[in-house]
Amino acid sequence: MTYFFGKKTEQLFIWLFFPLALLLPLFLEQNEFYVNKLTSVVIFAIFVMSLDYLVGRCGMITLGHSMFYGLGGYLFILIAPEFEAVNFWVYTFYICVLAAAIALVVGVIVLRTSGVYMIMITLAIAQMCFYFFSDSVEFGGNDGLFILMKPDTSLFGLAFFNLDDPLHFYYFCLLSLFNCLVFWKLVTGSRFGRIMEAVKDNPQRTTALGYNVFLFRLLSYVMASALAAYAGYLFALQYGFVNPSMMSWQTSGSALVMSILGGMGSLYGAILGTVVYEGLHYSLEHLTEHWLLLMGCLIIAMVMLFKAGIAGFLENLLERRK
Amino acid sequence: MTHATVLQTEGLCKYWGGVKALDNMSLSFHDKSVHGIVGPNGAGKSTLLNLLCGSYKPTAGRILHQGEAIEDIRAYQFVRRGIGRGFQKTNIYPQVTCLENCCIAAQRRVGGSFNILLSKNSSALLKEMAEQALQQVGLGSRRDTIASQISYGEQRQLEIAMVLATAPSVLLLDEPMAGMGHEESRLIIELLKKLKQDYCIVLVEHDMDAVFELSDQLTVMVNGQHLVTGCVDEVRNNSKVKEAYLGQGDEVI
Ligand SMILES: Nc1ncnc2c1ncn2[C@@H]1O[C@H](COP(=O)(O)OP(=O)(O)O)[C@@H](O)[C@H]1O
Ligand SMILES: [Mg+2]
Repeated sequence: MTYFFGKKTEQLFIWLFFPLALLLPLFLEQNEFYVNKLTSVVIFAIFVMSLDYLVGRCGMITLGHSMFYGLGGYLFILIAPEFEAVNFWVYTFYICVLAAAIALVVGVIVLRTSGVYMIMITLAIAQMCFYFFSDSVEFGGNDGLFILMKPDTSLFGLAFFNLDDPLHFYYFCLLSLFNCLVFWKLVTGSRFGRIMEAVKDNPQRTTALGYNVFLFRLLSYVMASALAAYAGYLFALQYGFVNPSMMSWQTSGSALVMSILGGMGSLYGAILGTVVYEGLHYSLEHLTEHWLLLMGCLIIAMVMLFKAGIAGFLENLLERRK
Repeated sequence: MTHATVLQTEGLCKYWGGVKALDNMSLSFHDKSVHGIVGPNGAGKSTLLNLLCGSYKPTAGRILHQGEAIEDIRAYQFVRRGIGRGFQKTNIYPQVTCLENCCIAAQRRVGGSFNILLSKNSSALLKEMAEQALQQVGLGSRRDTIASQISYGEQRQLEIAMVLATAPSVLLLDEPMAGMGHEESRLIIELLKKLKQDYCIVLVEHDMDAVFELSDQLTVMVNGQHLVTGCVDEVRNNSKVKEAYLGQGDEVI
């Protein structure tokens, strides 16, 4: 545990968040509506975490990450037979690999640029993809498509959970979130992570030390895109449909805000950011009609107050050196 | 020179639009020696180093390393061939420790840089390499200090340590003593004297006393043009050099 999660705040967060998230459905009396709500927050946190890695750990600012989130759903529709329950694990693998392959191609184009140009080109490609799906009749246009047969989750003949049971699915997504956090910690703590960080801090110097900066960026882009697609796949399975709005720039935008709010690059902060953002969203929505305005102001205030996000603020509070 | 030629340029040119930053430069750099490069500001010294390390692609001409043409290979591949370069402006990773700076530099040698599951602290060998590079430049005591918190002079030393950590055979150094006090300069001079026993060093430097003291060969450049190359005494007494320098009024040798 201490090996992965070096910072005290990080450890504390993990010890608090995951047990709490495990117990929460019990307090909600297993109310299906709330459990579904929590599930979608957990799924989105997986997506935000992959973006947080890209932006915060690799310095690659993308506004097109939602494309892979959406593709996670559409790829399933595309490759799975319509009236047959396919295997969940096999298709998880297919979707991640396909998304990675697409990211490899897109990455080769996109990563020739950086900074503002990269923001523009990622946005443009994602918008192209968005309009392709919202204009295409086969994919249901703006309304999207329903998933008629949910996959079957058995592995070696054992069914660990039932996709149609919201509680089962919630726990599965929570486990996925934890696994993603562990995965990103492994990556950032690896030899690859060392050079990736160097690339982010000083690409020119890193080239001069003999590293092929482009390949490091590309691998990071591919990994983050695959996990974004995984989150989109889970989202599609939760509600049983896909829809082009998953790919809209607003999806990328709010994920970026959540990552900044949580503390960019802190990874566990992505969970904090998503929970706080969605929490605010939910409570303000019920409070006033003008919730968007209020929420905008609150987020601006928080971002200005916590320069390094909520994670940075907590770290300052808990780990201040004397 | 008694030592073998390691690096060579033939008719090397770099034009920026109409500006001839470097024109028709043919030089040979030898093993276990310091080749000084001097010239007034804008003479093209940094351009030459940038070409030699692959950062710039030449407009024309060739670069030969151990007899092989390398002007077309990618910048990061120059390091793999053993051509390491230090920068004119300090260029380190300021947020991490001095040791980590050298670990980044040395990791290519132990490999596994694309391994996402292998912990970065798993190699004792890597740490040893990094520590050795720090000790070579006399920064052993600073290994755990964050690089932004050491003095400017020490950062220049760290810059050299990082190049050494890549295990080069050629060291390209761009004004390693720029902005240093006398004592700090002395440290670097002593360091380079030690290093020249093992490396081929190309040294661009404004501090003339230092260049004269260190160089086995000396090249004077003006406006991208080669003026003269020779041993220190030859260059010092060369009438063209006197004229060029006095004419420019930049520095007096
Ligand atoms: N990236 C660049 N773009 C355009 N001109 C450049 C560039 N780099 C250098 N130059 C020009 O090339 C000439 C040589 O510069 P430089 O090699 O930096 O000289 P030195 O290091 O000897 O002071 C100068 O006239 C400079 O303006
Ligand atoms: Mg210069």
